[in-house]
Amino acid sequence: MVGATELTPAIPLLPFAAFLVALLVGHFAPRLLPKGGAIPGILATAGSLLLSVWTFVAVSGGGYYAQDIYTWVVGQNTFSLHFGVLIDPLSALMLVIVSLVAVLVHVFSLGYMNDEGETGLPRYYAGLGLFTFSMLSFVVADNLLMAFMFFELVGLCSFLLIGFHFREPGPPSAAKKAFLVTRFGDYFFLIGVVGILATFGTARFVAVGEGVHSFPHLAEQALAAAGGEGTMPEHVAHFLDIVGMSPETWFAVLGLLVLGGVVGKSAQFPLHTWLPDAMEGPTPVSALIHAATMVAAGVYLVARMYGFYALLPTVLAIIAFVGGFTALFAATMGVVKDELKQVLAYSTISQYGYMMLGLGTGGYIAATFHLMTHAFFKALLFLGAGSVIIAMHHNEDMWDMGGLREKMPVTYYTFLSGSLALAGIVPFAGFWSKDEILYEALIYGAGDSPILLAAYAMGLLAVFFTGFYTFRMVFLTFHGEPRSDTARDPHGVRWNVKLPLVVLGILAATVGLVNMAPVAELTGLHIEFLHQWLVIPEASNFAALGYEHYHHLLEEFAGYHAADIGPLVPGAVSLALALGGAGLAWVLYNVDSPTEHTEKLGGVKTVLYNNYYQDEYQVWLAEGVTLPLARAADTFDQGIVDGVVNGVSSVSLFAGSRVKRIQDGLVTHYAALLTLSLVVLLVAFGLFGGWF
Amino acid sequence: MTTRPRLRDPATFVTGIVAVALFVVLVTVFLGAGFEGAVGYSSDANITATIGYALFGLMNLAGESAPASEGFLAAFEIIDVVLVAALVGAVMLATRDDEGGDGE
Amino acid sequence: MAVAVEYYLLLSAAVFCTGVFGVLTRENALMFLISVELMLNSANINLVAFSHFYGNLTGQVFALFVMALAAAEVAVGLGIVLVLYRNFGDIDVRDATTMRW
Repeated sequence: MVGATELTPAIPLLPFAAFLVALLVGHFAPRLLPKGGAIPGILATAGSLLLSVWTFVAVSGGGYYAQDIYTWVVGQNTFSLHFGVLIDPLSALMLVIVSLVAVLVHVFSLGYMNDEGETGLPRYYAGLGLFTFSMLSFVVADNLLMAFMFFELVGLCSFLLIGFHFREPGPPSAAKKAFLVTRFGDYFFLIGVVGILATFGTARFVAVGEGVHSFPHLAEQALAAAGGEGTMPEHVAHFLDIVGMSPETWFAVLGLLVLGGVVGKSAQFPLHTWLPDAMEGPTPVSALIHAATMVAAGVYLVARMYGFYALLPTVLAIIAFVGGFTALFAATMGVVKDELKQVLAYSTISQYGYMMLGLGTGGYIAATFHLMTHAFFKALLFLGAGSVIIAMHHNEDMWDMGGLREKMPVTYYTFLSGSLALAGIVPFAGFWSKDEILYEALIYGAGDSPILLAAYAMGLLAVFFTGFYTFRMVFLTFHGEPRSDTARDPHGVRWNVKLPLVVLGILAATVGLVNMAPVAELTGLHIEFLHQWLVIPEASNFAALGYEHYHHLLEEFAGYHAADIGPLVPGAVSLALALGGAGLAWVLYNVDSPTEHTEKLGGVKTVLYNNYYQDEYQVWLAEGVTLPLARAADTFDQGIVDGVVNGVSSVSLFAGSRVKRIQDGLVTHYAALLTLSLVVLLVAFGLFGGWF
Repeated sequence: MTTRPRLRDPATFVTGIVAVALFVVLVTVFLGAGFEGAVGYSSDANITATIGYALFGLMNLAGESAPASEGFLAAFEIIDVVLVAALVGAVMLATRDDEGGDGE
Repeated sequence: MAVAVEYYLLLSAAVFCTGVFGVLTRENALMFLISVELMLNSANINLVAFSHFYGNLTGQVFALFVMALAAAEVAVGLGIVLVLYRNFGDIDVRDATTMRW
């Protein structure tokens, strides 16, 4: 019986096989795939889920695992590039999350795509399979370069899936925008990866084995040496001489470069503009990619590299501030949207802001917790929205809905479960995780960091808006009187839609129980399961990836010291704000015929509705700044570079057209040329050969 | 052709300079090369008979006083074939078809 | 008194260059062919001269073959002149210039 560790590479490879089946069989023998590739996809992701759960169980028994799978560049006297897997608590947890959401989305797609009679399904399921493969490979990646490669591949799959209905005008444009905006961030990420490889000579996250180093550990040693303890690793010292900066500055530069990719992929300000447009894709795609997994990739990357980021206080402060700002920024925009998926999109941006805030303030466990709970409740909300969209015959405008509560009870109750989790109402999942993030932000901010406190304030304010827009959405969609004929008589949904909703609904309600930190502190019970999960014993080789180590780094290098504030009061404040927002929405929107109250905001609403004109600004940057530069470069390329090449060829052509006139057809002229050449040759030979 | 005699345009002789140049080069080389004395043939050698023996590859029957030579039997046969081919070719070229010429 | 071999070579070069001169300047096709014959015969003179120089009869036999080849070549050449006349009405070698740029 093989152990879980040997089968780890099968976890991403099963969906890859489903991708190949959907692609090849779907193209060459479509009749063999009655559901367009759904069955292979469901089987593959279910298989991945089983293997992930098995791996999870193995890790809970201390079975951490890191293995090089394939060295694709063997370096002589320098570093090698390889693919490998790394299974530690964080990646095992993420594997379960990703594969669970993936299998539920595949089942949901049977209802959303197959039952609605969509065409081109093999392409859809192939895209989902490829995405699942890339995301799972990204999760188990053991070095930064491999993570980057799968990061990019995930972006490509997002492009393919958003633009699924490519014959309409909207989706391909949205797909391009998503790809370009994330690519812009990934450009900095790539430079960061190259920088890390050059500085440290390795891109590994953890060093297991003889003679192997990991870059977080090397960075820690370098900073300790700069602080006076221990010796600077040679490679790092050599590179720092070339760069000419102190270690703190240079590592901060590297951290910020990698952060560029994170900001793009996790849709933080200013690279958030692609996510609302990505809602043009089919709703299961939005649920899988733009809620639970792909946008999580950025946050997961920071968590994976936390041993590096925990050394850099400036970067952490920037992460926290950007996260808190994005949380508030997106929440304000979510308040005025009229389309169901748009509200959820801005909510996603906002919630990932919370996770970045958590990571930036040293709340590694809180951020991971929120990553997990958010994956479940946001996927639930998107799938619920998908169910509503099926019922409303693909009309997403909330002002045409209403009264769906009686007609779609399963959808309503699961959606309500997700909304309560999103708004952060106790005891649903979102409360515990969001509250813990804000608590960590407060205690470390009150320590002596005004930036963290400002970020905390923004995050706290966003809780109010979150509660408001969430319940505005629920009341407009499900309560009140139906506002259109489709709402009076909605299209029914089948088991393949309801089953994932029920599963996720239960999870959204209960998964918060894994880490009820305030209850644990008050009662002294050890029920902080996630905290215990993420702590790795000192004795293990993998201790560098555990929370104890990160906490130690945060205190020593980043200077994070927790203030002594009890968890009850901040928790009560955030709960009160959430209830306040929900209550305001109740008052305004839980009536039979709600009015558009947001109109009363007047000019503010226009600004918010137009997303603070960020889209126009980015288009201006592209057209006004990038396009002229591109034109100038093109002129240089065509005129000078091509000009030289064309010039050479035109010289050849001109010379040829002149020289060919020697062939005039007269035999005597040819004979003359022959003889002349003979004479010249003889003279030449004679001179060289000494005949004369 | 019975046309009246025409004077040749002197300009057409210009290309002949190349021939003169060739002659100058050849003469320079030949006169500058140092040749030793010629070997010549022995006084009682029958040159014509030896040529005959050589043509048929029968140099071993030529006698002691004959100058040396290679055997040319194969070349003799091949030249025979070439002559036949040339004859046939000339006749073919000269045959007048209905339209004249050797038929495109 | 034997003639030194250089003078035979000189004669051969002179005849050859006369032939070349004829090829370069003659417009009549038959005169062109006669010039070509001159060149071939200069080669013959060369062959026989060296045959005497080395005392080896190979040169003389080879000269015989050259003569046979010259005859064959003239036969074919005259056939071509006939065709030339049929197509161009005149045996001026400067008329046939279609194979040009």
